[in-house]
Amino acid sequence: MADAVMRRNTTQAIVATSLLAIWLVLAAFPFFWTLWGSFKVEADFFSRQSWWNAISGPATMLQTGGHFTLDGYRGAWIQREFWRAALNTGIVTVCVTTISLVFGTLGGYALSRSTRRYTFWILIAALVFRAMPHITLVAGYLLPFFKLNIWGVLPTAIVVLVAINQPFTIWMLHSFFMSIPKDLDESAMVDGCTRFQAFRWVVIPVMWPGVITTGLFSFLLSYNDFAVTAMLLNQDNQTMVPKINSFLGTVQTEGTIMYAVAAVVSATVPLFMLVMFFQRQIVSGLTAGAVKG
Amino acid sequence: MAGIQLVNVSKRWGNVTGVRNFDLTIEDREFLVLLGPSGCGKSTTMRMIAGLEDVSEGEIRIGDRVVNKLEPKDRDISMVFQSYGLYPNMTVYENIRFPLKVRKVPKEEQHDRVMAAAEMVGLTDLLERRPAALSGGQRQRVALGRAIVREPTVFLMDEPLSNLDAKLRVSTRAQIKNLQYRLKTTTIYVTHDQIEAMTLADRVVVMNRGVIQQIATPTEIYDNPANTFVAGFIGSPAMNLVEGDISDGVFTTENMRLEGLPHTASGRVILGFRAEDATVTEGEGAITGSIYALELLGEASMAAVHVGGELVNIKAGKAFRADIGDKLTADIRPRLCHLFDRETGERISERT
Repeated sequence: MADAVMRRNTTQAIVATSLLAIWLVLAAFPFFWTLWGSFKVEADFFSRQSWWNAISGPATMLQTGGHFTLDGYRGAWIQREFWRAALNTGIVTVCVTTISLVFGTLGGYALSRSTRRYTFWILIAALVFRAMPHITLVAGYLLPFFKLNIWGVLPTAIVVLVAINQPFTIWMLHSFFMSIPKDLDESAMVDGCTRFQAFRWVVIPVMWPGVITTGLFSFLLSYNDFAVTAMLLNQDNQTMVPKINSFLGTVQTEGTIMYAVAAVVSATVPLFMLVMFFQRQIVSGLTAGAVKG
Repeated sequence: MAGIQLVNVSKRWGNVTGVRNFDLTIEDREFLVLLGPSGCGKSTTMRMIAGLEDVSEGEIRIGDRVVNKLEPKDRDISMVFQSYGLYPNMTVYENIRFPLKVRKVPKEEQHDRVMAAAEMVGLTDLLERRPAALSGGQRQRVALGRAIVREPTVFLMDEPLSNLDAKLRVSTRAQIKNLQYRLKTTTIYVTHDQIEAMTLADRVVVMNRGVIQQIATPTEIYDNPANTFVAGFIGSPAMNLVEGDISDGVFTTENMRLEGLPHTASGRVILGFRAEDATVTEGEGAITGSIYALELLGEASMAAVHVGGELVNIKAGKAFRADIGDKLTADIRPRLCHLFDRETGERISERT
C-alpha cells in the first residue's frame, strides 16, 4: 500500500519534472540562442552552410581572431548610437508609468468607492478603448500632430501611450481597490482623515502589490511598444524597439543585422532584472486578495 | 459629552427608501441599541450619524451642532466596524495611535493615551503584533481600543460582535457594557441580535423596513410590545401570536377559549402571549390540543401545540414529559395577554 503510494508519487514527480524541463528548454531556448549568437559575427549566426556554425563560430574565429566578439554591441551602442534610444526608452517608460499610475490610482480608487451607476459605464468605456488596436489611435492622430507641429517628439509619444495604457491601469487598479474593504477607508475617515488622507495613509500602503503589478504592466507596454513609437517619433528620438527595427531594415549591408541582435539582448536584460527584483510583489499582486483582516 | 437628536431623518436611494422619518432623542451617556432584522435601516441610520452616508431629509444634531454637512472627522465620533477595519500594515500600537496621530495630538501625550486605552481593553501584551497575527476577539479589542483612545463624544458600534464565536461574544458583550459604564460616553449600538440588545441597552429602538416600531427600555419592549412585529421579533422563542374572535372579553379560536380579557375589543383580533406565561394544567384550561412536538431545553421543556392555525409554544417544567400526539391542557392568565389589531398589527389592549 505504502509502496504503491510511493511509486505513484515518484512517477508523478518524474513526469512533472520532465514536462517542466521540456517547457523550460522550449521557453528559454530562443533567449539563450540570441544571447550566444550576439557575440558572433553575422556569417556564423546567419550561416547558410550549417546552423551549428552559430554555436561553434568558425567565421568569428576567422574574422576577429577570438571565439567571441563585441562587434555587434560596439556597432549598435557606439557607432549607431543605441544609447540614445535606450535613454529615450527610459524617459518614455518612466513618464508613461508615472502618469498612468497617478491617474490610475486616483481614478481606480474613485471608481471603486463611488456608488453612482455611471462608474459602470466608465469602466465599460475603458474596456472598449482597451480592446481597440493601438494603431487606430495613432492613425487618427497623425495628421493633427503634423498640423500642430508636435510630431516626432517624446512628449507626444508619451501622451499617446498614456492614452492607450490608461484604461487598462484604471481597470486593473479598480479591481485591486475593490478587494480592499470599504471599512478601511471609512474607519480612517471616522478616525480623523479626509478622504484623500485616508487614501494616502491607509489605502495606498496596503495597495503596494497592486500598484507595483500595474506599474510593471504599464512599464512593459511602453517599453515594448512598436506601433506608436515607430509612427510618432523621428529618427533622433527613436526608442529602442523601433531602433532595433531600423537595424533589421538594413539587411542588405552586412553587419547591422548583428547590431539588431546585440540590441535585442541589451533591451531584454533590464526586463529580466526588473521582473526578478519585483517578483515577490508581482506574485502577491497577481494572486490579489492582498488584504484580509 | 453630548446627546444626539435625529429630527425626521430619511434616507432614499432613488425610489428605495432606507430609513423613513426617523425621530429620536438620545440622552447624554445613554446606551442606545438599534435593533432589527437585516435590511431594516439600522446600519444606515448609524452611518448617517457617522457621516458616512448622506442624509436625504431631516436633521442630525450632536450636542447643539447640526452635523448634516460635516465630514465624519469633524463630528467627534468614533466607530467600531463589523469587520473591525483595522489597518493591516500597522501594529496594534500604531492602529490605536492612528486617530491621535491624524488629529495631531502632541507626541508625548500620544503614548500615554495609547497605553491607557490598551490597558482598558487588555491588549498591553500584543502591542507589537500586526492585525493578521491576532485572533478575532483580539482584533475586536483593537478596534475598541482605537475607538476609545480619542475619548470622543459618541461611540458608534456596528454589529461589533457578529464575527465572534458564541462564547467570546458573551464575554466581550460584558466588556463593552463595562467600558461604557466607566467611560460614560453616549453609545449607539447596532445589532440584529435581540439578546445583545436586551443585555446592553438602556433603551432599545426596534426598526423594521426603515421605520421605528418601538422605542423603550428592554423590559418594556419585552413586556409590552407595541405591535405584532416587535412581539414576534423579541424573545426566544418569540411571542405566540394567535388569530381569533373576541367578544365580551372572551377570545375564541381553534383549540382555545380564554375568558377575562378586556371588554374594549371586539371582532377579529390577534392575541399574543409568551411561552412562559402559559402553564400546563390538569383538567380545564384555556388551551386544549395535542402535542405537535416537545423540545427539551434543559431548564424547561417546550411543548408545541396547534392553536388557531399557528404553532404555539408553551413552556412546561423541566420534568414535564409527554409523547407527540398526547393531549395537553394549558392555562394563561388573561392579564398577561396582549391584543393586537388584525389589520395594522398595532397593540389595542392596555399595557400590562
